[in-house]
Amino acid sequence: MSGAFSFTLDGNEHAVSVSARQPELVLSVDGVEHQVSEAGALSEQCVLLTVDGRSYQVWRTWEADRMHIRIGGRSFSVGYEDAISAAQHQAGGDDVLLADMPGVVVNVQCEAGANISAGDTLMVIESMKMQINIVAPRDGSVELIHVSTNDTFDKGAELISLHAED
Amino acid sequence: MFESILVANRGEIACRVMRTATAMGLRTITVFHHADRHAPHVALADLAVELHADVPTAAYLDVEQILAAARAHEAQCLHPGYGFLSENAAFAEAVEQAGIAFVGPQSDVIRLMGDKIHSREFAVKAGVPVAPSVTQSGSVEQFVEDAAQIGFPLLIKASAGGGGKGMSIVRNAAELPDAIRTATGEAERYFADGRVYAERYIDRPRHIEVQVVGDGKGEVRHLFERECSVQRRFQKIIEESPAPQLAPALRDEICAAAVNLAASANYRNAGTVEFILDPSGDFFFLEMNTRLQVEHPVTEMVCGVDLVEAQLRVAAGEGLPWAQADITQNGHAIECRICCEEPDNDFRPATGAAQILRLPETEGARFDGGIREGQIISAAFDSMVGKLICHGDDRNGAIDASLAALDELILLGVSNNIDYLGAILGHDAFREGVLHTGFITEHAEDLAPAEIDETDRAAILIAAALGVDDFRSLVFDTPEPYASIGGWRN
Amino acid sequence: MARIQSHIQTNSSEFRQYYAHNRKLVEEFRAKQDAARFQRPQKDLDRLAGHGKMMPRERIDKLLDPGTPFLEFSSLAANMAYDGDAPSAGCITGIGMVQGREVMLHANDSSIKGGAWYPLTVKKIVRCLDVAIENRLPVIHLCDSAGGFLPLQSELFPDKYMAGRMFRNQAMLSKMGVKQLALIFGHGTAGGAYIPALSDYSVIVRGTGAVFLGGPPLVKAATGEIVTADELGGADLHTQISGTCDYPASSEDEAIAIGREIVSQWEQPTKWSLQRDPIEAPYYDPDDLYGIIPDDIKRAFDMREVIARIVDGSRFHEYQPAYGTTLICGYANIWGFKIGILANNGVLFNDSALKGAHFIELCNQNNTPILFLQNITGYMVGREYEAKGISKDGAKMIMAQVGSHVPKFTVMCHGSFGAGNYGMCGRAYDGRMLFSWPNSQIGIMGGEQAAKTLTEVKLRQLERRGEAVDQANLDGVYDETLEAFKHQMSAYYATSEVWDDGMLDPVDTRNALGMSISASLNAPLDDKGYGIFRF
Repeated sequence: MSGAFSFTLDGNEHAVSVSARQPELVLSVDGVEHQVSEAGALSEQCVLLTVDGRSYQVWRTWEADRMHIRIGGRSFSVGYEDAISAAQHQAGGDDVLLADMPGVVVNVQCEAGANISAGDTLMVIESMKMQINIVAPRDGSVELIHVSTNDTFDKGAELISLHAED
Repeated sequence: MFESILVANRGEIACRVMRTATAMGLRTITVFHHADRHAPHVALADLAVELHADVPTAAYLDVEQILAAARAHEAQCLHPGYGFLSENAAFAEAVEQAGIAFVGPQSDVIRLMGDKIHSREFAVKAGVPVAPSVTQSGSVEQFVEDAAQIGFPLLIKASAGGGGKGMSIVRNAAELPDAIRTATGEAERYFADGRVYAERYIDRPRHIEVQVVGDGKGEVRHLFERECSVQRRFQKIIEESPAPQLAPALRDEICAAAVNLAASANYRNAGTVEFILDPSGDFFFLEMNTRLQVEHPVTEMVCGVDLVEAQLRVAAGEGLPWAQADITQNGHAIECRICCEEPDNDFRPATGAAQILRLPETEGARFDGGIREGQIISAAFDSMVGKLICHGDDRNGAIDASLAALDELILLGVSNNIDYLGAILGHDAFREGVLHTGFITEHAEDLAPAEIDETDRAAILIAAALGVDDFRSLVFDTPEPYASIGGWRN
Repeated sequence: MARIQSHIQTNSSEFRQYYAHNRKLVEEFRAKQDAARFQRPQKDLDRLAGHGKMMPRERIDKLLDPGTPFLEFSSLAANMAYDGDAPSAGCITGIGMVQGREVMLHANDSSIKGGAWYPLTVKKIVRCLDVAIENRLPVIHLCDSAGGFLPLQSELFPDKYMAGRMFRNQAMLSKMGVKQLALIFGHGTAGGAYIPALSDYSVIVRGTGAVFLGGPPLVKAATGEIVTADELGGADLHTQISGTCDYPASSEDEAIAIGREIVSQWEQPTKWSLQRDPIEAPYYDPDDLYGIIPDDIKRAFDMREVIARIVDGSRFHEYQPAYGTTLICGYANIWGFKIGILANNGVLFNDSALKGAHFIELCNQNNTPILFLQNITGYMVGREYEAKGISKDGAKMIMAQVGSHVPKFTVMCHGSFGAGNYGMCGRAYDGRMLFSWPNSQIGIMGGEQAAKTLTEVKLRQLERRGEAVDQANLDGVYDETLEAFKHQMSAYYATSEVWDDGMLDPVDTRNALGMSISASLNAPLDDKGYGIFRF
């Protein structure tokens, strides 16, 4: 799909694109078209969005590569990846191990250059009194360790990079 | 009354305590770690003292620095809030020794109630019901007999155990010998200590607690009960007062037991006695919290009191502010704990920033918050950032008010449990008031975030897309005639 | 402006006859175009898919802004050449929109002989770069070519406007400050290596993209060195060591995403401010065009009816409506752009030629681009007209037209014969874009006229030699000449030879012109000034 923007909602990827701009704005979501109009801001942070005739109050705010949206009385977290990163990840796969949640590094059990097997514990992290093992997703070798013992990190932080698979 | 107070805490409780203290004319001092320098409690205080520590939470646990701050700024009293050092007997002692009034109980009472075994023994001595239990002292056969006395169902637990290991539920006498053998074996394997004990197991228990305030000389007032059964992994989520469907006689019994316990200890200042209530009507002492609790506002709203004010008056030696007969319950109050966590990711703590924070303006809604709009929420502190407390003429009214307020409450920029709280309050079982500590687990499926409606899904994604600058540019910056010709090909 | 009053009766037998004829022509055109665009031997499709390569049209679709148009040039280039081995001459060129900016695209089609350059491929590419130069359009090259088609090297290599002109044009674009981006999806060999090297920005796909002046076979033949394409000129060599390419990409999708982001960094173009009015769709249905254009090249029709189905609101301000009536002149809007139109309603006489010249001058005075709608058999011949100076008058029209500083556009709607083609801004006259309709014909004179003339010449020849006149022989000459002329006069032949910028379904003319006018505004107006008008 040309120029599609990729979003993650509920763990699923979706593509949003533009089908027509005049006389009405028509956007497509996963190939399905919708009539859209965006009225001006109701308040500083709230806009009125109409999709296929249904109107919604929308609050939006960014947090790193995620957008928090309140729409239709519920809050959602929508992930967005710019086209270049999305294309790189499609190619890359599991070369970088990211933190699932914020926390602190308890110990590091590997070093740069080391060969590893799928399932090896590479690092132990702790958050909210839970300790979690960061485990190698595949065989390979460690390229770089981004954090050290006692470092705190946020969700999505890069912990360990593996050398790309051949 | 004191002229000054040091609040040794942070977040919503520090703000809440200082609100009352300021209203009473006290000069307020608070402490903060660098990570909290933009937090509301810092701005709220007349004076804020920075504490230094590598880990932010450690600052609020640093007895030396806190005492130094209190002395340096001539704080006449110190309020520890909840958590942190609030139940640290040595800290309470050090504060008093520094000539500063500790807004809380005596240090030896803190020490007593902080020890599970000692407090349990104390409760037994005071005649407060405790869950029957028996430890193995003689032969296995004797233990089986003793255990059977407790009544079924019962729990076999490893004395040295924890983490659910070496624990089993036994529903009848026939199962007992095998269960004991298995538990003993597990206990030896996991804890290198085969000792087990038996305890009455309560199915679908309710967590009922009683707010008490004592004068330290044996006089204790109770401010009725709170129900805190809606919990997840032993963390309270929703609390309310009065407890729904609680027979008045039973209520009186429980409150009396709480008063009895506190009076026996000559309890001073505010505290909470927690009980487990069996569906059959038996109740058993769980523990006593020697501090102000998170959910104290529901009591305040129903009884029409200010507990922090009461705490300060007791600490200042003014005695108990009310006679027992003065204290009545009016209407119903419900508190929702607002936490920054990801309900659809096993409630893991979430970080981000409170980029948009809109407080509800519903009548009867009270928001005790510890964050300001724009504040960064980090992994450094507890995930609870505020409490929404709503009052209604009756329970239904309180539920409706809470639902309306939750709808108006907007916290955007960090994942939170606001929608999840709405799901709980909106659940039929909650409305019926059939509560027990397994409520969340029992209704877990119902409470899971509803599937996103297909129509709404498109709207959500479109709303997201229109929040991306590059996408907006693609939509709105296409010049004519390209915009009008559209996707034509020749 | 008043609306043109249409006199077409859509239920007349003539309308229906013409309609059926033209619909058939258009369907044939569309079928040929689809075949040229999409029909490929399965083995070639499989080969590309196996290398992880996208078809060039897929690359273009992903590169362009969604929901925006693409005006493709010369889709049927080479349709009557090389035994049909090179549909669309193995490349795709055209104007589209990337990140809100108009760009010229030039894409090799490696599903056709590896994207090799046939002589007509080179001509088509040189033409698209000429369009880029004349209109100051940034260019995006989608490189994926095996290089020159060696068996025809003498027709694509040595001369002034052959392959070398591509690189000259690239350098000229750069000198003019017009940006170029190269996306390297496949090989850029020999000359092809110059395309990214002469581009301002280049992105190369790792594994499939490669740039080298000599490919592995040539290198082995020349020096004995044995080396793979990737080692010789792959992404890592050129982005890390040689600096020939700017951005490595691990996939075609990534290359396109990077390319789009590069374009988003470019400044917005400054266009000269042609008068614009609110856009209005034609009042009359463009579909009527099929029933307006006759099924016979010699039959006339009223061009006002054509104009009414192309311009905004079918509104037209006619200039000198009573004078020189075989040439219609006037102002109208297309997609909001103000333009002047010259359209043939018959042969050009002295008065119509003078009217045309004058109107062209008015358009230049008013900074109004000019659209030529051709249906012309030529200027009037005969002693009377020579005496009135028809040659001078035709010359004046050419002088005015060539001296124009405003952009000019031409559509061949029906016949385009002789000097009429010239006066009405034929190919040689630097129109920014020139399109033809499937029914159109182009030649030095009409087919039958040419056949008759040559038969006359043959007859005179025989008479001069005193030979007997063999009627069958003469008929043979007539028939052969007619066949040959018909073959070379058809719109398909013209478009095959890249004598136009593409064949259009008549109903697409409005959109094509709207985009063409918009594109032309990226270049500043030329210097003013005409040559001498022989009065």
